[in-house]
Amino acid sequence: MLDEPAMSDTPHLLLVDDERSIREPLAQYLTRQGFRVTQAGDAASARTRLAAYAIDLAIVDIMMPGEDGLSLCRHIAATSDTPVILLTAKAEETDRIVGLEMGADDYVVKPFSPRELATRVKVILRRASAGGVRQHAPESGSYAFAGWVLKSGERALVDREGVSVPLSTGEFNLLLALVTRPRQVLTRDQLLDLTQGREAAAFDRAIDNQVSRLRRKIEHDPKSPEIIKTVWGGGYTLAAEVARL
Amino acid sequence: MKGWPRSLGGQLALLLALALFLAQAINFTLLLRERQSLRLEQITGPAATRVIDAIERTAQGRGPVGDRGRVRRLAANPIPATMFAEPQVASSLRGALAEAGIHVGRIATGRRPLRATDPMIRGYRGQAAQRMASKTDELVIAVEQPGHGWLVQRLPWSNDSGWIVWRLIAQTLILYGVVLLPVLWLGRRISRPLRQLTQAAERFGPGEDGEPVPVRGPHDVAATIAAFNALRLRVTAMLAEKDRMLGALAHDLRTPLAALRVRIESVEDETDRARMIDTITEMNRTLDDILSLARLGRSSEPLTETDLAALVDAVVEDFRDLGNDVSFDEAARLPFRLRPGLMRRAVRNLIENAVKYGHSATVQLVPDARSVAIVVTDRGPGIPPERLDDVFEAFTRLETSRNRDTGGIGLGLALARAIVRDAGGNITLANRAEGGLAATITLPR
Repeated sequence: MLDEPAMSDTPHLLLVDDERSIREPLAQYLTRQGFRVTQAGDAASARTRLAAYAIDLAIVDIMMPGEDGLSLCRHIAATSDTPVILLTAKAEETDRIVGLEMGADDYVVKPFSPRELATRVKVILRRASAGGVRQHAPESGSYAFAGWVLKSGERALVDREGVSVPLSTGEFNLLLALVTRPRQVLTRDQLLDLTQGREAAAFDRAIDNQVSRLRRKIEHDPKSPEIIKTVWGGGYTLAAEVARL
Repeated sequence: MKGWPRSLGGQLALLLALALFLAQAINFTLLLRERQSLRLEQITGPAATRVIDAIERTAQGRGPVGDRGRVRRLAANPIPATMFAEPQVASSLRGALAEAGIHVGRIATGRRPLRATDPMIRGYRGQAAQRMASKTDELVIAVEQPGHGWLVQRLPWSNDSGWIVWRLIAQTLILYGVVLLPVLWLGRRISRPLRQLTQAAERFGPGEDGEPVPVRGPHDVAATIAAFNALRLRVTAMLAEKDRMLGALAHDLRTPLAALRVRIESVEDETDRARMIDTITEMNRTLDDILSLARLGRSSEPLTETDLAALVDAVVEDFRDLGNDVSFDEAARLPFRLRPGLMRRAVRNLIENAVKYGHSATVQLVPDARSVAIVVTDRGPGIPPERLDDVFEAFTRLETSRNRDTGGIGLGLALARAIVRDAGGNITLANRAEGGLAATITLPR
């Protein structure tokens, strides 16, 4: 297995996938992106490496012969604080939810963009080092705020009458970023960073545009917003109590 | 046919009832005729004897008195024309007399109701006499003996035709009770399990593992039900196998695609890299569409009350975010019960086609009282009218009239239509007078 020379400030990733055709080029790519990557071809060798190294983040394929990725993910979540990103070949909703319930922090669906994966790794690592406290599975579950419920599993907003209001990908990502950080001021750059998960090209203006679209959907009076407020010179903030459901 | 029962039991019962009634009617006609000829014999026999006796007495010069007054000799025919004649009796009597070698003149008959007080009813009192009187008529027979006046006698004439009708009705009802009730019961025993079987067959959706239909009823029906249950198990197993196969297929195709996608990142040329990424994305989309099409109807996505206007708006926004020219006038809230993920896919596929072939799309949401239409129009070349239906067939693409752009087999429309039909609606395509194509999703409210 390929081990880069240890450096204390280089994040150490464990990449678990039984497919060499994916694992090896991906490891090379991530190494080029400045990570230290340890590879494992199955759950058993992954467990050995988890015990041997101080792993900062594990990337785990779900479909593996023998012990599968979900089981390994549960093991990691139960025994350590190491964040997990799942690789899944199925885009099915249920798999996503199950994965997040197993303690995964994020998931990417094959075929994924290595850039996107690297971005997500960075976001999760930054969150882990900045907050100290691990924010578990930000995408799972539902959030209630100002009479609305944001259901992340279904990517939809549910109003007081129980009617589901579908959101565009951009709107959803933006609202999720705001709802998971209530009463924090988020700059456009931060919002871009947080919502860029999917490969959509986004600009400063796009954030403003999406904010105004969201306001039209959720604000009582979009002209004087009460929920998503603009902070002059800063960015946006969600000015509402959020309850995790 | 109106009034004709449609159920097996009803048809059996009605047919049997008609057949039984016909048989009864024939039976009773025969019985009635037999009774009538018997009555005729019972009347004409004694009547002829008396007439012969009276004529012999007259010839011997004794006079008819010895016959206890039953046969009287009168000068003229005493029967008024108002009395009901029985010509059969007359002709039968004439025949009997002729056989005995006696030739008479005219024979007149007359019938009238008998009163309870009539001396002819002997030995009965009160009600019994009444009843007897109501069942019996008095028949007067006058036989002309040329040159000697008329020989007149009175006889009881049992008048029980009413009784025979009642007997017919009572017998028929008893028969109905005895025969039809078991037939109805048998019909129910056959039709109830058959009905359950029909319902189960209609309800049988690919995804569901419903309870097997209880095997009951007569052997033939029970065997049919058992065969259906077995068939259902086989179909379910085959569908599960198909799903498993498709899942494995998708996994086996996605893995090399994923490997390729990772390796593409090391391609130096940016244009090449972008094209490769596009191709892989497209292949993956096609894979998704194939899987969705194959799994439609057994979707795990629940029906959700969803704002259709927001759904269309969200799909349009996703296209705009990717830099496509798609316009949509925001519409009023329109709650609808549907599977939002699949409906998004259907709308997305229509808009995608419009963008691909018409370079831009205009989306409109047109609600009316009974349905809602989502109309996607483009300014592309349209479709030749004779091929409008073909494009819905999976894997069809009109190479001749529509320019070929990035990959994609004509799966999008097939999937969109399958999704919309699954939701109870339909998709229609039409060329617009001002050029371009209009694709319309119609959903019933």
